[in-house]
Amino acid sequence: MKANIKILPPRSTYGSLSLAFFSFVLLSGILLAIPFNVDKAYTSISELVVMNPWASFTRNLHYWSSQLFLIFSLLHFYDHFHKKSQIGLKKALAFRLALGVLIIFLAMITGFLLKADADSLQARQILFTLTERIPLIGKILAFSLLGKAGSFELIYVHHIATFTIFLTIIIIEHAKRIWPSALDFIIAFLILVTLSYFWSAPLHDNLNPTVKGPWYFVGFQEILHWLSHPEWSILFIALLVLLLYIVNSAKGKAMFFSKRSLLIFSILYGLLTLIGLFFRGENWQWSFPGTKDYNYTVLNNFKTESVDFSPAFTQAEAQKAAVILDRKESCVICHTQTHGFTDAHNPKAIGCFSCHGGNPFATSKAQAHEEMILIPGNLDNSRQSCGTTQCHPNIVDRVPTSLMSTLSGMISVDKYVFGEQKSPNTLTNVNQLTGHSAADVHLKNLCVRCHLGNPKTETGPVTEESRGGGCLACHLNYDAKADSAWKRHQIDQNDTTYLNYHATISLQVTDNHCFGCHSRSARISTSYQGWHETTLTTAEMPRDSIHYRLVEHTRVFKKEPTDVHHTLGLLCIDCHTSYELMGDGKHYAHEENQEVVQCKDCHFSGKPLLTPASKLTDESAIISSLRFGSITGKKYLTTEKRHQALINTWYQNDTAFLITKNTKKVFAMKAPDKECTRDKAHENISCSACHSSWAPTCIGCHNQYDPNEPGYDMLKNKEVKGSWVEYTGSYLAQLPSLGMRIENGKKEVIPVIQGMILSIDLGSFNKKLHDSLLFRRLYAPIAPHTTAKEGRDCKSCHNNPSALGYGSGKLTYVIKGNTGSFVFDPVYENNKNDNLPEDAWIGFMQTRTGMVSTRTNVKPFTIEEQQKILLVGACLSCHKENSKVMKQSLNNFSEVLKHRSSRCILPHWFTPDKSGN
Amino acid sequence: MSGNKHTRRNFLKIAGGLIGLTAVGAWGELTKNQMSLLNKRSVTFPFNPNKEISFVDDYIIRNNDEEITAFSAHCTHLGCIINKEQNGKLICPCHGSEYNLEGDPVKGPAYKPLKKYQATLSSDHKQITLKT
Repeated sequence: MKANIKILPPRSTYGSLSLAFFSFVLLSGILLAIPFNVDKAYTSISELVVMNPWASFTRNLHYWSSQLFLIFSLLHFYDHFHKKSQIGLKKALAFRLALGVLIIFLAMITGFLLKADADSLQARQILFTLTERIPLIGKILAFSLLGKAGSFELIYVHHIATFTIFLTIIIIEHAKRIWPSALDFIIAFLILVTLSYFWSAPLHDNLNPTVKGPWYFVGFQEILHWLSHPEWSILFIALLVLLLYIVNSAKGKAMFFSKRSLLIFSILYGLLTLIGLFFRGENWQWSFPGTKDYNYTVLNNFKTESVDFSPAFTQAEAQKAAVILDRKESCVICHTQTHGFTDAHNPKAIGCFSCHGGNPFATSKAQAHEEMILIPGNLDNSRQSCGTTQCHPNIVDRVPTSLMSTLSGMISVDKYVFGEQKSPNTLTNVNQLTGHSAADVHLKNLCVRCHLGNPKTETGPVTEESRGGGCLACHLNYDAKADSAWKRHQIDQNDTTYLNYHATISLQVTDNHCFGCHSRSARISTSYQGWHETTLTTAEMPRDSIHYRLVEHTRVFKKEPTDVHHTLGLLCIDCHTSYELMGDGKHYAHEENQEVVQCKDCHFSGKPLLTPASKLTDESAIISSLRFGSITGKKYLTTEKRHQALINTWYQNDTAFLITKNTKKVFAMKAPDKECTRDKAHENISCSACHSSWAPTCIGCHNQYDPNEPGYDMLKNKEVKGSWVEYTGSYLAQLPSLGMRIENGKKEVIPVIQGMILSIDLGSFNKKLHDSLLFRRLYAPIAPHTTAKEGRDCKSCHNNPSALGYGSGKLTYVIKGNTGSFVFDPVYENNKNDNLPEDAWIGFMQTRTGMVSTRTNVKPFTIEEQQKILLVGACLSCHKENSKVMKQSLNNFSEVLKHRSSRCILPHWFTPDKSGN
Repeated sequence: MSGNKHTRRNFLKIAGGLIGLTAVGAWGELTKNQMSLLNKRSVTFPFNPNKEISFVDDYIIRNNDEEITAFSAHCTHLGCIINKEQNGKLICPCHGSEYNLEGDPVKGPAYKPLKKYQATLSSDHKQITLKT
């Protein structure tokens, strides 16, 4: 400290400089009162920062002079304690001085409160509550100090009068002078001008979730965080004042003890201040450098602009710009022509800053764009943009739990198939895919590009080649003008008119948004539109745009029947709810677990499950109102699974209606055909098992790792050397096979496809001889999205080897004498790995258990189930499916069998039961 | 003379004390009156039946299937305004206290539940009135 003292001019002391800083506090305070409006405190400060550089400079001067006054006053104390063995002031003077320190803090904290930003409002609450808890006079004192809620008048009075007058008197009495020395004044002036020019006084943007007190109370905030009974801190403050009093007035041990206590306290408090300033973020949680959001939630407090005396805009331009969310936001002063927004996202309502970050109080382009979020809505910035407290925090918290973000099913099934995981149902997350195993690398090379967290890194519309992009993946739309302006900019970077055409962020989610990811793997998007991927190359593609379509420049699709819902004009979002698509906050293993909508929710017989408008969730109510106007009095169809309201449906006069979300077409919903519901024979068959007209299948896939193949790490979005390569067999569009989903003891026949009949050359990756070829024969459940009005015919299940899982081929019912039996002639040769036809799930009239499908609850038919199905198949080999006897069999098959003619030869495995069947 | 001096000083001390007491008394009374004048007996807000958790001014309104509970939004630790719900928890931004949707603290430093107010809905369910 002695060394420090030497840096001061010979006649200056910390005390004398403190007096000089105080004179600047008064001077700048008087000037600051001119632009400050206590009725609109936050707005007026943001206005002066943005529009009045000299006022902004004066505010900085006021801020820095008061901070330095505090610092130098404390140094002055320390200096005295350090140099003198005792101070020995008169008791009354010592008391006033100790009280003076308290008043300095009160003067400063009231100044902090007067900026009325998010930090100040919470600090005001804390100060009020703490004061209120002083025994006896607490409530009166708190009100006398801070006044009525929402008003800053009384605080202003105390700041500029009560505390300032008191301090002035004490300082004059203590220093025995009014004016600082000319040299101190000049030194203080130079320091303050420099600080005030380069570093502005803080002003919270009211968007960042972190709230902190002023730096000198951050240590106190840390202490309060640990105190369940914060009222004890009042005693603690009283004790500090007492120590200051004793140290200034007492002698001997009491003085020494209090001096030591103050020193220890100062060191500890300094440490707590550092913790509070640098290691506490949102909700006062620990936050350390290098962790996600550290810069945003911790260092944002230090973001401060320099004063720009020649702003990038004129005062007249600045005046025209609207005040947004109580703050004058400089972004909209320059960006006046930008349009294309929905009402909710109009910059006049939320500014640019709410989404794009940056610095809302900047006066130059460089300042404004510093740390700006160019593409808000990516999941890594969504909490700072779409998900801030005032906007969509609950949705943004949910989205990362959605399967479209976690890819849990995709990852777990892949690892299961690679033999790295015992179950395909393990909950996982693409962000945890940090390993380097064969499956990890396979996933990174070939699969995991399609997750919502994959950031959109360039501006431009969502196309069929887009992947990820967080909120933007679904909600970003470029209208024709915006699209053309953006394209012009791509050709000529100097053409910046695209800046005026902002993309629309809206509820107009189209099938194109889903297409990029969902045209792959199960190919739901393409199947729904009636397109089936072929193995044709671009050169082989016939010049027939009606029956052929090129996707992503290389993938050739052929026309197949479209889904009936697509033909009617229904988009993906017309069936799928916001909770299905953006998650409901829970993690699910597979898509069928996350999805809730089932055919029967709309196509029901009897009375539907309904939700009245008043019981909609807030999200559903808002979306429904935005899309369709008033919701009052409406009753919405509700999913059987997890009871989610379908907001584009309603029930009126015993009829259910659906309105398409984007195009507003209305349909009266049809009940399922009586064929579907009248008999017990088909009651455990899912709608899609019958009504799917086709599904894409592929067989004969081989996976091999090639260390020299130019590859791609889809997680890091960078090119790598060495990659897994997939050699595919043939792609077919055919009726899906059928399998059994067994859940909670309930069986349901569902469509399945040859999901993974493949070989994996593990040896090519692991370079170990014993890790040779891994062969898998797994079928996968599928929601084909190729719904046809008519269900598949009886024979397509009962006489179809492919439907039963035997693979393609000819299934014939052969009668020899009094015995009938089926004969199967497969199309494909047996695979040498398991001696089953290449496309089969099971052997003819056999079954398999264990690792048979990509789910643990989906199995091929048991032999008994196959026999039951084929028994009907035997009948159908002679009787037409529309015949009277077959229709009768739907009602009571046993009865029909009982009365069969002697010409009816049943399969050899049929044994009549005790009733004589 | 000295007796007079003492008497005078005592008188002045007593008079000063009395004036001081009057001032303190006046301060107490006027402030109490003013606080009472400003104290609202009840507050009424528009009611959103679809929103499970609404943050309105200094209040949190929870609408859970016909059952409406109104809490003070002031954290019981130090009075900060709680303005967000995350994963079914009401979180105080100042010191990180957390409450469940019943208003009970689940993470400190707060240990007292949020203050509850009696809430009544208007007959058309469009307004909610809290007795404060």
